[in-house]
Amino acid sequence: MNDYAGSRKWSLSKTIVYAGSYSLAIILLIPILWMVMTSLKPQGTVAAEVMRRFLPPFTLDNYVHIFQTAPVIRWTMNSLIVATIVPLLSLTFASLAAFALSRIDFGYKTIAFWVILSGMMIPGEATVVSLYMVANTLNILDSYYALILPALAGPLGVVIIKQFFDDIPGELVEAAKIDGCSLFRIWWNLFIPLSKPVFSALAIFSFLGTWNDFLWPFLSIQSEEYMTLPIGIPFFMSSYTQDETLPMTVNAYASVPIIIVFLFFQKYIVKGITLSGIKG
Amino acid sequence: MAIVARERLMIVRPGKRRKKLYNNLLATAFLSPYFLFFFVFSIIPIFYGIYVSFHNWTLIGKESFAGLENYIYVLKDPDFWASLWNSTYFVILSTPVMIAVPFFLSLILDLNLRGRTFLRTVYFLPQVLSVAVVSSIWIYVLQPYTGLLNAALHALRILPPEQEIFWLNDPNLAWISIVMITLWWTQGFNMIVFLSGLQGIPTEHYEAATIDGANYWRKLRYITFPAMRGLIVLLTVLQVIASFKIFGQVWLVTRGGPGNETRTMIQYIYETGFSANDLGLATAMSFLFFIFLVTLSVLQFKFLGSKKD
Repeated sequence: MNDYAGSRKWSLSKTIVYAGSYSLAIILLIPILWMVMTSLKPQGTVAAEVMRRFLPPFTLDNYVHIFQTAPVIRWTMNSLIVATIVPLLSLTFASLAAFALSRIDFGYKTIAFWVILSGMMIPGEATVVSLYMVANTLNILDSYYALILPALAGPLGVVIIKQFFDDIPGELVEAAKIDGCSLFRIWWNLFIPLSKPVFSALAIFSFLGTWNDFLWPFLSIQSEEYMTLPIGIPFFMSSYTQDETLPMTVNAYASVPIIIVFLFFQKYIVKGITLSGIKG
Repeated sequence: MAIVARERLMIVRPGKRRKKLYNNLLATAFLSPYFLFFFVFSIIPIFYGIYVSFHNWTLIGKESFAGLENYIYVLKDPDFWASLWNSTYFVILSTPVMIAVPFFLSLILDLNLRGRTFLRTVYFLPQVLSVAVVSSIWIYVLQPYTGLLNAALHALRILPPEQEIFWLNDPNLAWISIVMITLWWTQGFNMIVFLSGLQGIPTEHYEAATIDGANYWRKLRYITFPAMRGLIVLLTVLQVIASFKIFGQVWLVTRGGPGNETRTMIQYIYETGFSANDLGLATAMSFLFFIFLVTLSVLQFKFLGSKKD
């Protein structure tokens, strides 16, 4: 830490730094406040004066209205379901694979790891058309399967978990083996609990990524009933060109859960980024 | 470090060959759930896409073998090159700010100010929003007459009251808007990575410099920058690759407009495949773009590797 503000002395430069950094925070927050404020205005009142938006009257009518008109609850449920199942399954499968790569001495280990590492180079967006065609062949388009299964193919989790597993001391494993634990039990009862920090970081990170994923759901989902919020929102917007309050209400509604998750699990998200940003 | 299989529990002590086979089978059992999805949804699409790209193929299915026709068509298609250029142009415009701004913000967070957790939270917050929400908010913010940005410019007297800026109707302004949106939305990731880099610099270095009488700026110049150089280069590389794949915010905010001035590579691939119903052409473009991106990352990481030595 280049400890600049640590000194007790209050100086002009310190004032400038504080004023600047907090003003920046406000500027970055403004679009989000704009969204929330607009969602609280009575329908049809916002167009005239821009700055009035931050003043009363406020109402929650728009929120009532979107629950009645748009299938937002369904979309929220879809987003929640997908964003919960994907981290659970992908962490399970990735950690099983990482366990083999880290702790089993097998013949094709080098090749297997090399394949996964080169998988990190695959630009998913550039193969999305053929992914669509593969999903079509498997008959999983426009379903939860389409939203969940392709998301389990990401290699980053395997690589990060393997690195973490590599650091678990061998004596622990030996002790477990002497107690007669099978490899599967060692994975489940020893490695998983020990890896809690890395798992929670990756899980939150995967949750956020799935919650906000756009391109693939946009291609693979047509029916309203399987839409996730990122796909449902623009779909809903397309019927409101004039009024701003309802679209902003949907935006605010879709953002509240994720902002709450972020505020609660911030520590893990930061950790997840540090892990994946540096390794990825 | 490897676990020797459970010989003790087995009735027949396996010989060396049998143990090898046993370990292979065991490893396969652990690996196969992951590899199943990895192959089906990561590897197979690549090869299937190559296969499709050599055919005339619509959403209904395969029509006829096309040989290299699709590739020849794509390479002669001015719209393909224009979209590739648009994505490249976005990379050129956005990368410097996508590195400089988060770096600057991470320096602020590293100052140990009061309320730094709050600041970090707020600086990062836009990153958690969905691209659909981000795009929708910004469409209203950028909108002339009722939008926040023009109103703010009016209030600050930067823009004369009778004048309106149509942010999305002019190609240059549209690009500036897209970069602005992307910066606001995604800089937080890089900021956090930079911050963890800054916090990894040993405190003793700064302490020693303080004893030698160095001020903040000299410490920044002689300790922070050299220590962070590797991370700056790494994030630049990752940022370039990520930015080439831009699609969502452009599609939702400008639809590639005005005209096709902001149409990116992914959008053109999508439109060719699904609107123009030519999957053969779309997969040929995808494969060329794929080769382009993989070559770019390999070259960049080669370059990184050679720098490290």
